[in-house]
Amino acid sequence: MCDTCGCGKPDGFTIHDPKHTHEHEHTHENGHTHIHAHKHENEHDHGHDHEHSHEKVISLNIDILSQNNITAGMNRRFFEGRRVLCLNMVSSPGSGKTTMLEKTISHLISSRKLYVIEGDQQTLIDTERIEKAGAPAIQINTGSGCHLDAHMIEAALKKLDLETNAILFIENVGNLVCPAMFDLGEYKRVIVISVTEGEDKPLKYPNMFESSHLCIINKSDLLPYVDFRTEEFTKNASLVNHHLEFITVSAKTGEGMNIWYDWILRQSDHIPRY
Amino acid sequence: MHEFSLAGEVIKLARQEAEKNKALAVNEITIEVGNFSGIEADAFESALGLLSEGSVLEKTHLNIVKIKGKGICSACYKEFEMNQRMDTCPICNSFPSEIKGGNEFRVVSLMIEEE
Repeated sequence: MCDTCGCGKPDGFTIHDPKHTHEHEHTHENGHTHIHAHKHENEHDHGHDHEHSHEKVISLNIDILSQNNITAGMNRRFFEGRRVLCLNMVSSPGSGKTTMLEKTISHLISSRKLYVIEGDQQTLIDTERIEKAGAPAIQINTGSGCHLDAHMIEAALKKLDLETNAILFIENVGNLVCPAMFDLGEYKRVIVISVTEGEDKPLKYPNMFESSHLCIINKSDLLPYVDFRTEEFTKNASLVNHHLEFITVSAKTGEGMNIWYDWILRQSDHIPRY
Repeated sequence: MHEFSLAGEVIKLARQEAEKNKALAVNEITIEVGNFSGIEADAFESALGLLSEGSVLEKTHLNIVKIKGKGICSACYKEFEMNQRMDTCPICNSFPSEIKGGNEFRVVSLMIEEE
């Protein structure tokens, strides 16, 4: 989990683990009203309140990510309407995403319209690299934030005048934890890892591997110098997500990159039509 | 850090509901957190505690209900409880083919005070 800011809890707020955590049966069908009302009878704290005011339980059952998910859905419909392939690229910092995108842009730019949304906490460095490679790019600086969310993408889309049949790459903030939770409206999620990372990454960060469609194993040119066993890695990743596809590449030398380009174009042919 | 932005969402949601119901106060908020949801309950508590200052949730008792994951075994099809994402079936030791629970992160209810 990412670091929180380390501030203490303000005194005005009392937080404690509810005693009934272990007893609480997770039965939504019957409604929560009765379950929680019952709990309050055991607390004895509210008795005196009943003479001048009433407590009422409002049952909500609202997913806290629902606002993000609604916006992600709108982004997705927008992409589909324009037949834009949107790929959300996620990874740890330093996996080589930006280099991969530079190479990808140089290769595909003659045949397709390409755009990039860059997510970083600070600086315009990546946007400058991407624009130099030839694609219009928008930088989202998240400040202290550790991920991009669907609202940020919606705002960025207003600045990118996407042409139909284009390909949009979203380079997410380098982080294997938080971005996993936030649907951006992408068609496919691509996780990039490099052979300098551990083979056990999928077991340590299962959410990200579970929510991805393609796993790119980058920096294959370094394989002779590191202990990374590709088979062991793919075995671990498949335990978490047996639908995950794998492509091993070296963005630096170009090895395997044609398979990646073919994969992109294949996805582009499969965007749902309306 | 995503606990902070999500705590902000919770406060927004609580404010809307409190206004809609003309609540004098929100006494308690119940939130379910699944153990595969990607939410660290402690970090979320801290974030909500910090952000709720001056908000409708400032004096509210936070009730976090932790939900354990549930998997369906890929071999014997039994449903089993999971503490961790890589837990295997206690009967036949196979990995689950389907995760049925543990991704919850939702506001279950608000206990409000009304006139």
